[in-house]
Amino acid sequence: MRVPIEWLKEFVDFSMSPQELALKLTMAGLEVEGMESIDGDTVLEVNVTPNRPDCLSVLGIAREVSALLNLTLRFPGSGITESGESTVRVEISDEELCHRYAGREIRGVRIGESPDLMKKRLEKCGMRPINNVVDITNYVLLEMGHPLHAFDMDKLKGNRIRVAKAGTGSRMTTLDGAERSLPEESLLIWDAERPVAVAGVMGGADTEVTSGTRNVFLESAYFLPSSVRRTSKALGLKTESAYRFERGADIEFLEKALDRAASLMAELAGGQISKKEDVYPRPFREMSIKVRYERVNRVLGTSISNADMVDMVRRLGLGVSAGEGAFSVSPPSFRTDIQREIDVIEEIARFYGYDRIQVTVPKTPVGAEGKDGLYRSMPGIKESFRRAGFSEAINYSFMGRRMLDLMNIGEADFRRKTIRLRNPLNEEEGLLRTTLIPSLIQNLVYNLSMGSKDVKLFEVSRVFIERGGTLPEESHNLGAICFIEKAPSLWKEEAPDFYIVKGVFEALMDDLKISDYSFSRSSEPFLHPGKSCDVMVSGKKLGFLGDLHPGIVEGLGLKISRPEIIVAELYLDELVPLAKTSRKYTLLPRYPYIERDIALIVDNSLPAAYVMERIRSYSSELMEDVTIFDSYRGKNIPEGKKSLAFAVRYRSKQRTLTDSEIEEVHKKLVAYLAEKTAGVVRGA
Amino acid sequence: MADMEDIRKAFADELSSSETFAGLQQLKVKYLGKKGVLTSRLRLLSTIPAEERPAYGKLINDLKILIESALEEKEAGLKKTERDRNFALEALDVTLPGKYAVPGRSHPLSRVLKEITDIFVNMGFDVEVGPEVELDYYNFEALNIPRDHPARDMQDTFYITDDVIMRTQTSPVQVRTMEKRKPPLKIISPGKVYRCDADVTHSPMFHQVEGLMVDTDISFSDLKGVLEIFVHRMFSKDTPVRFRPSFFPFTEPSAEIDIGCILCGGSGCRVCKGSGWLEVLGAGMVHPRVFEMAGYDSELYTGFAFGLGVERITMLKYAIDDIRLFYENDTRFLRQF
Ligand SMILES: [Zn+2]
Repeated sequence: MRVPIEWLKEFVDFSMSPQELALKLTMAGLEVEGMESIDGDTVLEVNVTPNRPDCLSVLGIAREVSALLNLTLRFPGSGITESGESTVRVEISDEELCHRYAGREIRGVRIGESPDLMKKRLEKCGMRPINNVVDITNYVLLEMGHPLHAFDMDKLKGNRIRVAKAGTGSRMTTLDGAERSLPEESLLIWDAERPVAVAGVMGGADTEVTSGTRNVFLESAYFLPSSVRRTSKALGLKTESAYRFERGADIEFLEKALDRAASLMAELAGGQISKKEDVYPRPFREMSIKVRYERVNRVLGTSISNADMVDMVRRLGLGVSAGEGAFSVSPPSFRTDIQREIDVIEEIARFYGYDRIQVTVPKTPVGAEGKDGLYRSMPGIKESFRRAGFSEAINYSFMGRRMLDLMNIGEADFRRKTIRLRNPLNEEEGLLRTTLIPSLIQNLVYNLSMGSKDVKLFEVSRVFIERGGTLPEESHNLGAICFIEKAPSLWKEEAPDFYIVKGVFEALMDDLKISDYSFSRSSEPFLHPGKSCDVMVSGKKLGFLGDLHPGIVEGLGLKISRPEIIVAELYLDELVPLAKTSRKYTLLPRYPYIERDIALIVDNSLPAAYVMERIRSYSSELMEDVTIFDSYRGKNIPEGKKSLAFAVRYRSKQRTLTDSEIEEVHKKLVAYLAEKTAGVVRGA
Repeated sequence: MADMEDIRKAFADELSSSETFAGLQQLKVKYLGKKGVLTSRLRLLSTIPAEERPAYGKLINDLKILIESALEEKEAGLKKTERDRNFALEALDVTLPGKYAVPGRSHPLSRVLKEITDIFVNMGFDVEVGPEVELDYYNFEALNIPRDHPARDMQDTFYITDDVIMRTQTSPVQVRTMEKRKPPLKIISPGKVYRCDADVTHSPMFHQVEGLMVDTDISFSDLKGVLEIFVHRMFSKDTPVRFRPSFFPFTEPSAEIDIGCILCGGSGCRVCKGSGWLEVLGAGMVHPRVFEMAGYDSELYTGFAFGLGVERITMLKYAIDDIRLFYENDTRFLRQF
């Protein structure tokens, strides 16, 4: 709401500077967001919250100023001379949606330009002057806050105004020149034959006031806020009028606005004013709200005296009568937002000044729960990835169908069970994510285009799977992507990227103290079938990792020297509950160990994990640990074979072992392995 | 006796011309070995008169000690020379960059979100979460925002169906929590929220932290106390705080909380639009209607709620002027934090 100071001063005399006034209003809940100097005047840009339609006018702001500064408020003059009855008959068919409809005829107007002051004020408030009659309706709207509409009376068929719903098939061309089909439930103004205005939203082109207009019918009405809002939304028509009606107009004051506009028309366009036509089926009923003195101070944490409370409420223009223990408040018709005790408490707080309310610390006891499971483990999970060089990404929760297609995700895959936005910003952001991989791929593409060589990102976010319930299933995933351009670099990398990401997974499992997991070949459609695996815990898949399928990499059209892009995703809601939160210390071994190596030549297709498992499960209580330290193919190894080397560590909890006893145990283990793996022991 | 002096001289000559470990070893054998010069002299002791023996023996011994220590000293010198030579050979170019595992970075939003959450958790608030795809009921209706209320204009909503939406605020978590827990209640709910709006300062997805405190005797002055502590811990203890009236359908009285501009110190700049103040929080006393919808006794209980935008605070904290930077995930951006 734009408020020219010069206009404001017409209704209330104040001496403070615009800056001081702006601060005063801001601290009373009418935030002044900006100030503009126009022709030596200052225009305040006031942010009026939706609960205060009474402040959507210069007079409304003046009323607040007069209350805050304890100054008298002057109302604009609206004295009129009536001549003759109104010939237009008004009928309200839908009292539910139209609580009051008043009007006057102004006959014999001369359409022309408005006086300079009026034009200037309209412009300062952001409106374009059109002609004196239309300008007057706009001027009164800005001045008094009530929307009015002027019809060219001679174009109203049958001298009739009827307020009724559109029903089926109604069409009308509105003032903006658009022919509209009107929603059945929308409230319209009809003449004897056809709709002539969308009630409270916009007039019709057929009855528009033009340069040839001689007689005007001026409307001042009250329409149900929710109805105006629905219609305005349905038509996509946001007007100054609808803006005020949907927040709530002043049903009592509307006749003052009607008279003010009529008198201005008589004065500036030279018309004759008819008597008032006023249909008022749902009159304003004054409420009485009981407000307890003690409750006010209890809610606010203040100690305001009873007399001060009553005084503040009175100055705000509300009806008050003081009583024992409580006072009763009757809000006027312009303050229908005040409906119960708490609304009055707010008015008192606002008037008293939030800055005067003391600062205290609540004595409520501390909660016992703190952070819940996932929140508690999240920092550690993220830390595992950061340690390995992955930075954290945050992406929108949206994705497009195209990415799922690109990733070869089949129609039956659960990641196709998507939630679709009805009003997305664009098609690429039309679905909610069911996997984090597409966003991370897009992050990679973006970073490469920006010249980055190494891109290691992870994201923890929710995914949304449609499961047939009212709301989708929301679960937390961790996604990661890793691309390292093997550009000539000073210090060499050691392992294929696949193992770098796998190592992060293992470190994470170690952090969470989850040990009974395994990796098995993955059949994810978007991964390289030979360079990918699923993470399994007791037969359940908790995620996957692997090289992005070469076909998909090709489809991305990246300019990279090697197509090795690793992606990974983990299902945290399944993983985190498996974490061991209680940890117990085990005794550290005190006796020395003996270490022996095994080198085996086995089939290339035999997983190293199989051999490891055989060693681990070999029953010898002296065996403490086994690690793999070599996996080799090539020179000196037969075609189709590989050499695996393990170090086995032996230790007793009770005594120092001797070489000869371990020699025996180890020999048996080697023989056992050779048999189980059909392998050849190297160096044997 | 005189030959002792000759031996000493001969040794000194040989030692000074010996520059290798092997040479020293030879000298050692020659003078101190089993068949060495001194050993053979010792053997001859028995052939000289008994009264001269002690003196002669002492001479031999003294010379032996002298030779031993001279050899040791020379050897130590050789070792040092050799090590010095090796130092030069082994020297690294210490100006080459070190090799280290470059750690990844937290997203600035996560960093700030955690900071905010920790402040409230340290004040005894529990963390509660709820769905991001939410019922219109929890997001609006139960928060005193009926379908045709103009307050809905304050939040452009992504719709899934007529009744299911992307939550526009984390406040629905408050309602869900009130439905399952009884007061006293002291919770915060951090998380993602959605509005269909996108430009330099608006993002279709952003992060909020909302808080709720309910008990039998919570007042507006308590709200001021808790939020002042938050601002002082989040920014600094001399940051000015200002509470001014505002409107939210689910709180009454409602407030907006400004802090003294941290960029210009209150003198007015582009970021604070010359006002010297920055709006950082919305808050208010829980509207009795919200308690009633959640099944709480609105006479018995009072409480306050607050909400803040994580993006906004992060932008202020790190002087970031474009909200879109947060979601591009440019590694050059992420590395800065
Ligand atoms: Zn500033």
